[in-house]
Amino acid sequence: MAETFKLAPLEIEQYTLANGLRVVLNRDMAIPVVALAVYYDVGSRNEREGRTGFAHLFEHMMFQGSENVPKAGHFQHIMKAGGTMNGTTSSERTNYFETLPANQLPLGLWLESDRMRSLAVTQENLDNQREAVKEEKRLRYDNQPYGQIFDLINEMIYKNFANSHSTIGSMEHLDEASVEDVQEFFRIYYAPNNAVLVLSGAFETETAKQLVETYFGDIPSQPLPPELDVSEPQEVANTYREWEDKLAPFPAFLIGWKIPKRRSREFYALYLAGKLLYDGESSRLYQKLVKGAESVIQLFGFTDERRGPSSIFVGAIPKPEKDLSEIRNVIMREIENLANQGPTPEEMQKLQNQLINDAVRTRQSSMSRAQQIAEFTLYDGDPNLINQELEDLLAITPDHIRENVKRYLNTENRALLDVVPAGKG
Amino acid sequence: MTQAIRKTAPEPLAPVPFNIPQAFETTLDSGLKIILFEDKRLPLVSYRLAFLSGDIHDPADSVGMTSAMASMLTEGTLNYSSHELAEKIERLGASLSANSSDDFTVVAGSALSFYRTEVLQLIAEIVFRPTFPESELDLYRRNTIENLKFQRSQPGFLASEQTAKLIYGNHPYSRVSPSASDIEKLDREKLRAFHANALSPNNAILIAIGDLDREEFLKQVHDEFGRWERRESEAPVFGNPPQRSSRTLTIVDRPGSAQSNIVLANAAIDRRHPDYFAVLVMNQILGAGASSRVFMNLREEKGYTYGAYTRIDAKRLAGDFEATAEVRTGVTGESLKEFFYELNRIRTEKATEDELADAKNFLTGVFPIRAETQEGLTSLIVNQQLYSLPDDYLQTYRDKVNAVTLDGVLEVANKYVQPDSIAIVIVGDAEEVLPQARDYSSEVTIYDTDGALMDPVKYEKNDNEATADASGRWTVSLDFQGQSLPVTLVLEQSGETITGSLETMLGNGQIDTGRVSGSKLKANTNMDIQGQSVEFSIAGTIDGDTMSGEINAPALIPTPLTFAGAREG
Repeated sequence: MAETFKLAPLEIEQYTLANGLRVVLNRDMAIPVVALAVYYDVGSRNEREGRTGFAHLFEHMMFQGSENVPKAGHFQHIMKAGGTMNGTTSSERTNYFETLPANQLPLGLWLESDRMRSLAVTQENLDNQREAVKEEKRLRYDNQPYGQIFDLINEMIYKNFANSHSTIGSMEHLDEASVEDVQEFFRIYYAPNNAVLVLSGAFETETAKQLVETYFGDIPSQPLPPELDVSEPQEVANTYREWEDKLAPFPAFLIGWKIPKRRSREFYALYLAGKLLYDGESSRLYQKLVKGAESVIQLFGFTDERRGPSSIFVGAIPKPEKDLSEIRNVIMREIENLANQGPTPEEMQKLQNQLINDAVRTRQSSMSRAQQIAEFTLYDGDPNLINQELEDLLAITPDHIRENVKRYLNTENRALLDVVPAGKG
Repeated sequence: MTQAIRKTAPEPLAPVPFNIPQAFETTLDSGLKIILFEDKRLPLVSYRLAFLSGDIHDPADSVGMTSAMASMLTEGTLNYSSHELAEKIERLGASLSANSSDDFTVVAGSALSFYRTEVLQLIAEIVFRPTFPESELDLYRRNTIENLKFQRSQPGFLASEQTAKLIYGNHPYSRVSPSASDIEKLDREKLRAFHANALSPNNAILIAIGDLDREEFLKQVHDEFGRWERRESEAPVFGNPPQRSSRTLTIVDRPGSAQSNIVLANAAIDRRHPDYFAVLVMNQILGAGASSRVFMNLREEKGYTYGAYTRIDAKRLAGDFEATAEVRTGVTGESLKEFFYELNRIRTEKATEDELADAKNFLTGVFPIRAETQEGLTSLIVNQQLYSLPDDYLQTYRDKVNAVTLDGVLEVANKYVQPDSIAIVIVGDAEEVLPQARDYSSEVTIYDTDGALMDPVKYEKNDNEATADASGRWTVSLDFQGQSLPVTLVLEQSGETITGSLETMLGNGQIDTGRVSGSKLKANTNMDIQGQSVEFSIAGTIDGDTMSGEINAPALIPTPLTFAGAREG
């Protein structure tokens, strides 16, 4: 079926305002909703030593009000209009998004432009949000079993500070930050020429363009942020760490490898290899470990997709009394098998159908389209890649998978984190 | 000119209508109801084969049977082993699963429309021809028992376990989870016999949504499901949930817990109750989301919690109203105070026109967003069918919301928010919580996390003991791996509340919450140790100008450290 399937291309129009704001319109009149996504080219990778956690702190600050929008006003306006919204911070970027009934497009543009232009960076807001970020860190990282393992392994995998430090950052750095530091961060990174705005859903193109110009047109551009170096050394290192976790009821382990950047053939091949290894009940490791040996409670894996060097992880929580090293041996043997024999024809068919299914499903929601388009625009300068990526993935062959698994998923160049329960009981 | 435009929120554009067309319906002779909703927007299909029986219909001596049966349907059939079935489905890029809830059992399948006939075939395969292999059942039993253990470490689970018992009494809704012994009792023969009787067409609805063709679909239904024989069974009758006449306080003790998981609950309405829409709007105003009264009070104004909400759980036969939050242990009492303030206020004062309009705008506005994806639309249609809601429910939903009045909101608040007979459930440190919460109810029950009943006297503080004076600068020695580390506590006291700071060689921290009860001091602080924020809790006993006790920093050190020292000056 893959040979004959054609995904209908999305309607994409792209242009840039005089102040450098990149705008992309994806018109789809099927349901009367519209999604807005604003992506700022700043993530934890842009933070310098002594100033970690800023990008994420900003995400909080952005909801604290701007010149014409009171504190907590953003959320209230969206809810009253019958919309949903959120924002997230990653190593790569900070994004803000909302889905609204189609007739509320002006509201969304007003809110996003007001905070891009005039966010209220005050001592009071900064103090408030520091506390909120501390609560969040407590809730999500410190008080969760295994809450810190991904931050820990990133420190082992990446040598470049830009890539290795955690997005939530250090409380010390945040405590030391002054209002001036934060205002400077805002000025440099929260500029229209450092951002992408995507509208996806039901709107009239001319109306949308006029509204975008009205609300965003007069926001002044800023000098571009400093150049960023996210290169990593070529290393041949096998790193190991043991971590004591008081909240973990069972031991666990996490294995990580550094791999080439997103959209490279190597990345795609390894992404697909990962799916074969750990995605779904027919995956190799599920069948070997959850079923065959019945030795794990949980098996998980994923790729961390970045513009620079990226990574892939596999981990497991073994059942009580099960031998961790034996489980790891099973994982490495399966990877070796994939490196030597490559995927079977049935596995390739599975991948192709899953890729098509995923591509079709993610097109349903205006927000999911807006986010994907924003990523392609910000990272690659080309929103039309949303109509291209499925083809790029389907072009990966069994040999590509085999070669890249052999080259990258070995034992010489991997990080292994062992989590040991250190509780009282 | 642009500046003036920015000053206020802009007016919306002209509204765009959104209507969900009626689905096609038919019923087979066997009683199987068929719903078909054609949607050719994208090449996807979703199927649901839903049964009007669920966990509450488990036989009395076989608790957990329905959910075991549902899980096992995909673990082996006449034509496919568990592995073969997983392979077959995933090779199509499709999904297939079966799950049970209190009231229903649902088999779900979805795929690219290219594979629509294969997936429907597989649904029939797992429903009609499961084999319940012994080895798979054995794995299911063992994995479920492990998961039950894990569940008991989750405060949210413990809170819901107690809440359900208090609200539903002897009604099977009171059981949120089977026990380990229930799971051990499951056996293959019983499961097969249960399955043979449990899934009948006259108790089922088959829903198909997406890129389908009506004629082709109906023909396949006839082929796959045409020979399914109806089976009459008596719908079991359950008693009503108990009537509550007074407030109760139930605590699940988790010693050292930094947070109290609070649930306030009372019985409310079932899903089909005529008050449903008024209750929905009332709940939106009171506590559904970040603009609501409860959230704005406990989080935004007071800073007690990351999130405080209210919710309506309206099941098929009964339901409840709940107010929930996870708050810092030290502010448990204050949080209860604010919750009761809001629960009383919604009953005594009419809401404002603005509150009513905002609530309605959200509920109606968000409707098309919910229906945007096939999964979203399927959920809406499945719910309408399973709860036997009117045929035009989705088409008239927004009108019904808009018809709710301020008087209507006040009326249902008085009917369904019952602060005087509400059940207070708190999962947290009982020794800390009891003195803070006991003013709210004299009927106190305390359990440990395994569900064993504890004697409340164990947690009583000596009320006759005078509150010690903990204020001042204390120099204490901390016993850390054989070494003596100096630590300074700088404390201010107001009544029973303590503020101040902790100073050590590793760093300093402000006291977040501190309290003196009798001679006992308890306080929490956060300190930055090498870039990580570490929570410290202090538990000390004051005797005149000396203090001794323990400092606990679980993220840093596995065991508590003892300390002793004296007040300066």
